[in-house]
Amino acid sequence: MATLTDVIDRPSGESGLWSWITTVDHKRIGVLYGVTAFIFLLLGGIEAGIIRLQLSVPDSTLVSADTFNQMFTMHGTTMIFLVIMPLSASFFNFVIPLAIGARDVAFPRLNAFSYWVFLFGGLLLNASFLTNQAPDAGWFSYANLTEKPFSANQGLDYWALGLQVLGVSSLAAAFNFIVTIVNMRAPGMSLMRMPLFVWMTLVTSILLVLAFPVITVGLIELTFDRNFGTNFFVPEGGGDPILWQHLFWVFGHPEVYILILPAMGIVSEVLPTFSRKPLFGYPVVVFSGVVIGIMGWAVWSHHMFTVGLGPVAVTVFMITTMLIAVPTGVKIFNWIGTLWGGQIDLKTAMLFALGFVALFIVGGLSGVSHAVAPSDNQQQDTYYIVAHIHYVLFGGALFGIFAGVYYWFPKLTGKLFHEGLGKLHFWLYFIGMNVTFFPMHYLGLNGMPRRIYTYASEFGWDGLNLLASLGYLVLFVGTLIFMVNILISLRKEPDAGHDPWDAPGLEWSIASPPPSYNFAKIPEVEGLDHYWIVKRRAAAEGRPVTEPEAYVDPSTIHMPDPSYWPLVTAIGVLVLAAGMLFDTGWDYIRFPIPFIGGIICFIGIIAWANEPPAKEHAGGDHHAEDGHGMAHHPATATAAVMERPAGAAGVTVRLLCSNCGNQLSSSFRFCPYCGGAVESPADPDHQEG
Amino acid sequence: MGLLPFRGADSQTLRAGDEKGKTTLMSKRFTITRKPLLLLGISAILLLVMACAPDAKQSTFGTSGPVAEQQLLLFNVLLWVMIVVFVLVEGVLLYAIIKFRRRPGQDELPPQTHGHTALEITWTIVPTILILGLGIWSAITLFNLDQPPAGADALEITAVGHQWWWEFEYPDADGNGKYISTANELKVPVDRAVRVNLRSDDVIHSFWIPKLAGKIDMVPTRENYMWFQADETGTFYGQCAEFCGTAHAQMKFLVQVLPQEDYLDWAERFGETPVLSAQAQAGQSVFNGTGGCLVCHTATGSDDPAVVDSRMQSFLTTETGIAPGPNLTDLATRERFGAGLVDMNRQNLRQWIRNPEDVKPGNHMSGRAAIYQTSDGRANLSETEITSLLEYLLSLK
Amino acid sequence: MAHHTEISHHAPEEEHPTTTGINNRKLLMWVFLSSDCLFFGSLIATYMVYRGQSLVGPYPVDIIDVPITTISTFVLLCSSFAMVRALAATNEDRQGAIIFWLLMTAFLGAIFIGFQVYEFNLFKTEGLRIDTNLFGTTFFTLTGFHGAHVTLGIVWLLGLAWVAKKGRVGPKTALDVELAGLYWHFVDIVWIVIFTLLYLIGGFDTGPAGDPSLVPHSITGFLGLI
Ligand code: HEA
Ligand code: HEA
Ligand code: HEC
Ligand code: CUA
Ligand SMILES: [Cu+2]
Repeated sequence: MATLTDVIDRPSGESGLWSWITTVDHKRIGVLYGVTAFIFLLLGGIEAGIIRLQLSVPDSTLVSADTFNQMFTMHGTTMIFLVIMPLSASFFNFVIPLAIGARDVAFPRLNAFSYWVFLFGGLLLNASFLTNQAPDAGWFSYANLTEKPFSANQGLDYWALGLQVLGVSSLAAAFNFIVTIVNMRAPGMSLMRMPLFVWMTLVTSILLVLAFPVITVGLIELTFDRNFGTNFFVPEGGGDPILWQHLFWVFGHPEVYILILPAMGIVSEVLPTFSRKPLFGYPVVVFSGVVIGIMGWAVWSHHMFTVGLGPVAVTVFMITTMLIAVPTGVKIFNWIGTLWGGQIDLKTAMLFALGFVALFIVGGLSGVSHAVAPSDNQQQDTYYIVAHIHYVLFGGALFGIFAGVYYWFPKLTGKLFHEGLGKLHFWLYFIGMNVTFFPMHYLGLNGMPRRIYTYASEFGWDGLNLLASLGYLVLFVGTLIFMVNILISLRKEPDAGHDPWDAPGLEWSIASPPPSYNFAKIPEVEGLDHYWIVKRRAAAEGRPVTEPEAYVDPSTIHMPDPSYWPLVTAIGVLVLAAGMLFDTGWDYIRFPIPFIGGIICFIGIIAWANEPPAKEHAGGDHHAEDGHGMAHHPATATAAVMERPAGAAGVTVRLLCSNCGNQLSSSFRFCPYCGGAVESPADPDHQEG
Repeated sequence: MGLLPFRGADSQTLRAGDEKGKTTLMSKRFTITRKPLLLLGISAILLLVMACAPDAKQSTFGTSGPVAEQQLLLFNVLLWVMIVVFVLVEGVLLYAIIKFRRRPGQDELPPQTHGHTALEITWTIVPTILILGLGIWSAITLFNLDQPPAGADALEITAVGHQWWWEFEYPDADGNGKYISTANELKVPVDRAVRVNLRSDDVIHSFWIPKLAGKIDMVPTRENYMWFQADETGTFYGQCAEFCGTAHAQMKFLVQVLPQEDYLDWAERFGETPVLSAQAQAGQSVFNGTGGCLVCHTATGSDDPAVVDSRMQSFLTTETGIAPGPNLTDLATRERFGAGLVDMNRQNLRQWIRNPEDVKPGNHMSGRAAIYQTSDGRANLSETEITSLLEYLLSLK
Repeated sequence: MAHHTEISHHAPEEEHPTTTGINNRKLLMWVFLSSDCLFFGSLIATYMVYRGQSLVGPYPVDIIDVPITTISTFVLLCSSFAMVRALAATNEDRQGAIIFWLLMTAFLGAIFIGFQVYEFNLFKTEGLRIDTNLFGTTFFTLTGFHGAHVTLGIVWLLGLAWVAKKGRVGPKTALDVELAGLYWHFVDIVWIVIFTLLYLIGGFDTGPAGDPSLVPHSITGFLGLI
């Protein structure tokens, strides 16, 4: 066992640019994700502004058709891949290890790698603007409009390669979070004690792992068509453009649940906290989330009702799609059940969560009306769909994310947001959102197709378009208010305390901002809403919890050290993908640059593999490889036996859980079914911390 | 006004129906916006009323014919179901928010309920039943609308999507086997089912006449079809509904629903050699000669499929070569040109001939026709040539 | 798709206990492989959708040589056996055997790749390129990506052998070998599927112009042929 003398200070500083570039700390990576994605939100918002400005009056000539097409393509792509997904990832990063009582994610460097690849993917996509060849075929880029004869410039290459890079990032992150959630939970946190946000992250990650390879293949095929003369989607060569649609939507529909489930998870944390009541029907909410994840795979063709699949296929997809309303409704009803009989405190976070519920219902109901194929034949590709998109994505996903921002910001910074400005932000968003997007329902029903850069006055769409554009201004001001609020709040002295909301999650039991090692002593989780259990027991015993877990000297806890290699490898990925844009036109080495990228990747991976997760310590010390880290605090190091005694590993002794009677292997320190401690002479370390 | 918020009917009731429907929609958004929003809500209603008052040419309301009518009926019922669900759920939500606000001094915890099995079962089963009911009815509608009713003597038409215009072929236009190919304006008889075969020669388009029927895509590699039947004569507005490139917004067309006799009259006279004035004859020689219009357009009867094919080949394989262009044989009978974009009159047509780019940015005529490859994109033709060309085009009927 | 798998030989002497008892890196590998399943699944689906859809020849029946590929398939299967031996040797800490079997696995994999290179070149001379027709397009894409997976596996195995040469592979780091093994077996199994679909079942496909009765479109069709 390690002794204190073995411990060496963590090397690089805690501050400065370099420390951010080489960081592997999940909290910092969470911040990087969040800030980057927010900047992309502004960018996507400005693109939306150009769309709205152009459409505010009929026959507008503000931008050309081609520019407009680039705008909605980049707007949709940006908002989905560079805003909502990474904002969710930002919460995964910041919250998950804290919420499950771990010191970091399972693979901290892989986590850093995910972030850098995401950043580079976003930059690659947007670099297309610099060469004036932004992609312009819509966010789902239907073939064969994307094939060379109809899309000669490199816009779609940027698009395909950019998404490919982003896919690498999403996959790496999803692998990481699955392992983290499955394997890194603090003792006592059985599956059915996991906070709902953790559950939804798990489901989302599984969806990502299974959905992204499909679009990867689609993008590979598109890239091959455009650059190597293949015929995957080229009708003249016998290919079928509809195959693209299947590949895209087999990915694309699970994708929309990838976008909404994290927000649903956040809301399921916020509502109970500010109602002072546990989540109503917890197991049902978990289960319905899983069911949504599964059913999401059986509905993709509802985006293709007008393609001519034949009435039988359409009926199948119509019914499965409509049935998704059931598990979703169950969630909504349980949220209302949570509010019912509670003591609702309308803090900004709560307002956004309630706004989420209210607006998502609208988007969901219009979704069900699209699901009815004969009536969708009238609505498909109109502004009625655009209204649906924004009710579920803006009113849903983004509102949920803002609820999370207001909820966890004090934990992240130790400071409270200015409530007044927060509420102003909420109302501007709530009003602006409805003014912008509600009229679109009627516009669509009134025959306004989507993706049109101009329209004539004769169709009677003028007034509502103007109204929608005015609504955009409200959203614009709301966004500015939010930014002001952040800036003001960041300058304040810390005033949040460790638990400003009297919240149930583990993360609130430690200081704000959390120390680099998160938990000095890994908590033993007593149940769902662990911290509530602890606090209420303490209150009942007359010694209310007012202090966070005590700080310990960070140098006494091994955490993974910063590393360059994730960044280097990510640069390799970028060079590899971007290199595909440079076609030398020579016979044999048409694309030399990707090889350079491959070599950089290779070097990065080798160095990464050879670098210990933490500095080698004298005496063959153990590293915090798995982010579990180890407490070497005098108070805990002696008490806590962190490692299994040599020899126990690998030996499988069948045991029964003393609590619930399920059969376990000896490697379990506590029962995964009920969370009970496992009593076993062969496995004494269940008493750990 | 009846039960349904949107009525499919003649234009009189249509207008009223629209307003009624919109108020219903408005009440929908009203529930979610709370007191602070009242003012905004009212102004929004006002704007809505202003916006919906004029006749909406391309609306999915005010439908004509069985297909669009049934689709609208389905939507109307759905809308009512949604409104009821919406009002109920948002109502309970709002009630809970107001009722269970935390009051100052409330330090005791509220009762810590964890769930309620009977409730969970209820709110799973009730929506399931509702949805299966709706689903089954929708499926029946779907199958009903798939084909024209048995025994209907449907007029067969093939519509082909092009970037960014429409080609219409009538294999048997007049019942005597007359083949017609024309473009951008669909002429059909009233009260007769029309079965449209949908094809595309380039990218995916979508064929949509909101007041007559929902859209179906035109996909290269696929033989899609749809049908509709107009119950009244008049002009209906069509629109391409799948993003298909630069001028997608302006890929429109008109459907002229004619009385049976007028339709037959048009079909029989199609392709007859028009009477040309001297100036028009001069125009014709510009058309066939210096203008180079002939390489892409046919103006003397239906297209020869082989010619269209070779134009298409050139379009796909070259960047500056020729392209298939709309058939101009009955150009002067059209109400609009430029694929339903602008009114057919001398002035607009002149502008089009001078520089199509001004009228419809991105179109393949200005991009590819030799005479427009000038520094400013204007036709390499003298004003007299243009005038005579116009004269010729306007006598094509 | 980049493959970011940790091939660290720096695994701690003992693994830290995890919630499920499954090692983190092993779980990562399983999750990655499930993702890769969908990757190949989509490529295979593309192939199956376009089966018999080529507009021009050469068609599979003109090109595919089942016997030759049976040999290379057999070689790949053998490599999986070698992989099993390598892991066993690792657990038993037989240093020489570890290196031998790792290299043997890589070598057999390389032979498979050799066959593939030969096959690709042969097809090229027979007039089938990736842009010739749908058969070429889907065939080369699918088998090419499989080949890339095998190649990556070979590099990985060679890396392991290199580390083993330094004496740093043994029972305590058996996981490193086990992970490579999981990957290798997966790639092997994928090939079995590809071989069955592209060669045994689809290898006799003719073009659209051919006599449809000659095209065994199902496994029963294939069995009927035997
Ligand atoms: C966060 C993203 C998100 C979410 C969660 C959803 C959720 C749903 N979506 Fe949506 N959808 C998109 C994002 C999303 N969608 C996007 C981006 C597009 C456009 C893509 C493009 O073309 O660009 C799209 C398009 C789209 C279409 C294609 C439309 C077309 O192009 O013609 C359809 C069709 O069926 C559809 C259906 C649904 C359904 C049934 C749900 C359901 O999951 C909704 C379920 C929720 C409820 C129903 C509300 C709550 C339930 C109750 C209160 C219970 C009681 C209710 C009943 C009994 C009905 N969506
Ligand atoms: C999460 C996803 C998301 C979000 C948040 C939004 C947000 C918005 N979207 Fe949209 N949208 C999509 C996803 C999203 N969108 C998708 C997927 C499509 C389909 C694309 C396609 O067809 O391919 C689409 C399409 C789409 C269209 C249809 C385009 C068309 O079919 O022609 C329109 C039209 O009005 C629109 C508008 C808006 C508006 C006004 C906002 C607003 O809510 C934006 C609010 C943001 C701001 C107001 C930011 C303000 C910026 C600042 C304050 C910057 C200050 C500057 C500095 C400090 C430098 N979006
Ligand atoms: C390179 C091919 C090409 C040439 C040459 C060409 N056109 Fe066109 N023309 C087109 C295409 C393509 C369209 C459809 C444009 C659109 O609506 O997007 C068109 C449309 C038109 C229309 C509108 C038809 C309608 O019903 O909407 C007219 C009129 C017309 N052309 C006249 C002419 C004249 C006159 C000339 C010769 C001076 C000419 N064209 C030369 C390709 C061509
Ligand atoms: Cu044709 Cu859009
Ligand atoms: Cu969907």
